[in-house]
Amino acid sequence: MSLVQRGRWVTLVGLALLAGVYVRALVFTPVELHQGPAQKIFYVHVPAAWSAMLAMGLVGVASILYLLVKDARYDRFAAASAEVGTAFSLVMLTTGPIWAKPIWGTWWTWDARLTLTLFLFFLFLGYLLLRGAVTDVGLRARYSAVLGICGLVLLPFIHLSVYLFRTLHPMPIVLKPSAPSLPGVMLATLLFSVGVFTLLYVGFVMQRYGIGDRGEGGGTHA
Amino acid sequence: MADLFRHAWAIARKDLVLEFRTRTAIMSAAVFTALVLVVFNFGRDPTAIPTLTIAPSILWVTFSFAGMLALNRAFQLELENSALDGLLLAPISRFSLYLGKLAANLVFVATVETIGLLLFALFFDVPLQRIVGPLVGVIALATVGFIAVGTLFSAMVIRTRFAELMLPVLLLPFLIPPLVWAVQATGQLFAARPLSEVAGALKLLAAYDIVFVTLATLLFPATVDQ
Amino acid sequence: MPETVPPNGAYMVAAYTIAAVILLFYTITLWRRGRTPRS
Repeated sequence: MSLVQRGRWVTLVGLALLAGVYVRALVFTPVELHQGPAQKIFYVHVPAAWSAMLAMGLVGVASILYLLVKDARYDRFAAASAEVGTAFSLVMLTTGPIWAKPIWGTWWTWDARLTLTLFLFFLFLGYLLLRGAVTDVGLRARYSAVLGICGLVLLPFIHLSVYLFRTLHPMPIVLKPSAPSLPGVMLATLLFSVGVFTLLYVGFVMQRYGIGDRGEGGGTHA
Repeated sequence: MADLFRHAWAIARKDLVLEFRTRTAIMSAAVFTALVLVVFNFGRDPTAIPTLTIAPSILWVTFSFAGMLALNRAFQLELENSALDGLLLAPISRFSLYLGKLAANLVFVATVETIGLLLFALFFDVPLQRIVGPLVGVIALATVGFIAVGTLFSAMVIRTRFAELMLPVLLLPFLIPPLVWAVQATGQLFAARPLSEVAGALKLLAAYDIVFVTLATLLFPATVDQ
Repeated sequence: MPETVPPNGAYMVAAYTIAAVILLFYTITLWRRGRTPRS
């Protein structure tokens, strides 16, 4: 069985378990009294954010390894991880505002974490655009590795900049999403969901890695 | 180590001599900066928004555009004349090449920023005399971080399709932290806040500069070597 | 359920739907790309 095929099975199991997450979150997890049902968006939003961050972290690690040993497999993995990360970022960026509207009263605020996720998405897009704009395979690998490393180093700075900026200029009435100590049932649902999203990440990356260059419209070897 | 900086200086000098002999790029960048400032003047309602409120934004958006424009030029000339291949064959380290390019870009951008700052003070009637020292410090620290990453990226994008578009797309996220701190510090300076309030932003800018100048120097060889 | 719970279930449904649609769409995309051989 090829890697792509095994990836498909992992993805299918992941999707089946995702249905399980939905059922568990909707039926077996209590409604939070202050936030109402919208609080349950949390169970898909946070795991999606986790997968996106994981993807970016692994893009960075694979980029460093690529520049150290120049093994094309690391580049291929970084490309796969970046694309999958983009998909998870999209889930994170769409579910986030849908949660923020009923809870914070606005679709979007320039809160530190929101801004960070937005730039995570921009970095993924820039990374994929750069890959699309370079035809030479070796050049593409080196360029994207450089960008991957820089992107990973940039993220803490963006978080720091917005965080300090906003604490110096406080927003009018935005409820801070302080980490609440979750009751056991909710925590279990969240952890289950994080596990499922990680599995989906693995399945997607296996497929995308197996597809390889075909996903980027080939390339020329110089 | 001495060679490193000597060679870097040689590279920077070569670029700058070429630049100031023709003066086309620097003039274009200066005129562009002036035009952006003029656009900003008409892009606001002076009766509704006091100048001082948006002055930091005007200054920094102008500088961002000017810097971006300057970076596109950095490796263009080398590539057009296939001079980059010659430079790479020369017995100088890649680190020298990067630092030289960075220095040349910084001098170029600093020149444009000086012109921009004077025009800015003139057009928007911002009293600069009191704060010119700290303001130059803020501008210098923010520019170094931004141009360090920009020099690295401009070496990559020249060999991509849509280079002029690719550079801003890749670089703008890296502009955010310096921009945030610089705008904040500039605003505090314009509002005549005590200097101690600006110190925090200056430290963060310096940290960003150290991290990205180091990182870009280390990564640069990967963008030019085969 | 107490009456104080805000009636915002529609947002939850929307978010869950969008998340599922994105993930399913990406699965299908990968499936198709993995199946078609390189021409």
